[in-house]
Amino acid sequence: MITPLHSTLYFSLGPVPITQAILTTWAIMLLLVVTALLLRWQLRLRPAKPQAAIELIVDMLDTQIRETTGAEPAPYRSFIGSLFVFILTANWVSLLPGVEPPTAKLETDAALAAIVFVSVIWFGIRGAGVAGYLRSFAAPNIAMIPLNLLESVTRVFSMFVRLFGNVMSGVFVIGIVASLAGLLVPIPLMALDLLTGLVQAYIFAVLAMVFIAATVEDGQPKPAPPPQKKEN
Amino acid sequence: MSIDIWGLGLQAVNVLILIWLLSRVFWRPVAAAIVARQQASTAMLDKAQAAQTAAEAEMSKAKAARDGIAAERLKALAAAQTEAAAATKAALSTAVTKAEAMQAAAAAEIAKDRADASKADAEQAAQLALQIAAKLLSRLNGPLVQSAFLDLLVQAIAKLPEAERAAIAATPEGLEIVVAAGVVADQKAIKAAVHKALAAKPALHFVTDPALLAGVELRSPHFALHNSWRADLALIEQAVHDAA
Repeated sequence: MITPLHSTLYFSLGPVPITQAILTTWAIMLLLVVTALLLRWQLRLRPAKPQAAIELIVDMLDTQIRETTGAEPAPYRSFIGSLFVFILTANWVSLLPGVEPPTAKLETDAALAAIVFVSVIWFGIRGAGVAGYLRSFAAPNIAMIPLNLLESVTRVFSMFVRLFGNVMSGVFVIGIVASLAGLLVPIPLMALDLLTGLVQAYIFAVLAMVFIAATVEDGQPKPAPPPQKKEN
Repeated sequence: MSIDIWGLGLQAVNVLILIWLLSRVFWRPVAAAIVARQQASTAMLDKAQAAQTAAEAEMSKAKAARDGIAAERLKALAAAQTEAAAATKAALSTAVTKAEAMQAAAAAEIAKDRADASKADAEQAAQLALQIAAKLLSRLNGPLVQSAFLDLLVQAIAKLPEAERAAIAATPEGLEIVVAAGVVADQKAIKAAVHKALAAKPALHFVTDPALLAGVELRSPHFALHNSWRADLALIEQAVHDAA
């Protein structure tokens, strides 16, 4: 029996094995880019219904970023939005027969977690400078540096494991039920998998945003405390 | 369970490329479209605000103009009323003056008519009186009256200047003795009296004229000596006419 943890190898480009997850990822990339191009070509000053819906989604994303970080959403919009759209699409391709979601594979989720890890460093340095970024590890005090260093790794690891576990388990359960009960029985589970995919994409994007915002915020120099009155 | 590092790296590159592509072809254009619409909306609102302000200014201007027109209308009405009152007063004054003039003219006309009527009545009365007198005098045509008129003729000839008497007497055609009708008996006496008064004996021709009523007149082509009731009545008529 082929387990869900198994990656189907199609061919290799030198030392790089091209698995089904990678091919699916490329297909998703192509789909998203083509869709984005089509939507871009239809952008007008007087919007049609699709453009209005897209702008509504972008506005909601901006509002979410603004409420989470307290900063302007423009620097984070592309990264957070693209992460959300890719993970959501990758989770939902499981609805296509014979297609496994790339996020059900360790390599994809680990790559996403690694990107979030690097992006936290990138946005932290860009927002607070190198000193500020390093200062963020000393929040709230110096004693927390080891724990913060450890947390910076473990939190992205937890994201990776959470996304992988949820998506992989859904695929696993649907595969088991389908092999045991027939074609139509897994449909409720597939519907549940849609919700799970949406929630996991949202959680992953929000957590990435929270980590970036916390790093930028902790890296900012703290204002001097107000002078206290001496008691006689 | 193991992780394929090459696969991990390739997926990371794939996701990074996707993020970059979507940033270029989706997120930025959509955000730019939103900003462009917001700017267009702001511009339209500003333009609408400016148009509203301009419209309000125009409305205020129109209201001021309307108020000005109303004030001007009231002023024009007042001026027209004043002018109409002045014109009415002038017309009334002119009409009063004309009426007074017409009244005066009518009064003068009435007075003139009255005077004319009075004169005509007087003349008519004089004519009537003369006619009555003529009728009465026509009955006084007896020998005695004829003799009295002859005496008066002789006296009148005697009062003429000598040269004129001589000129009358020297009239080659002779003189006419005009008497009233029916009085021819004393022709010899008349001739004699006339020849004596003229101190000459021109040819005398007797002519009968009933219009004399009574009397004896001496006439030549260039001279007439009236001496009759008719001449007296004519003198009276002329006097009455002159008196009227």
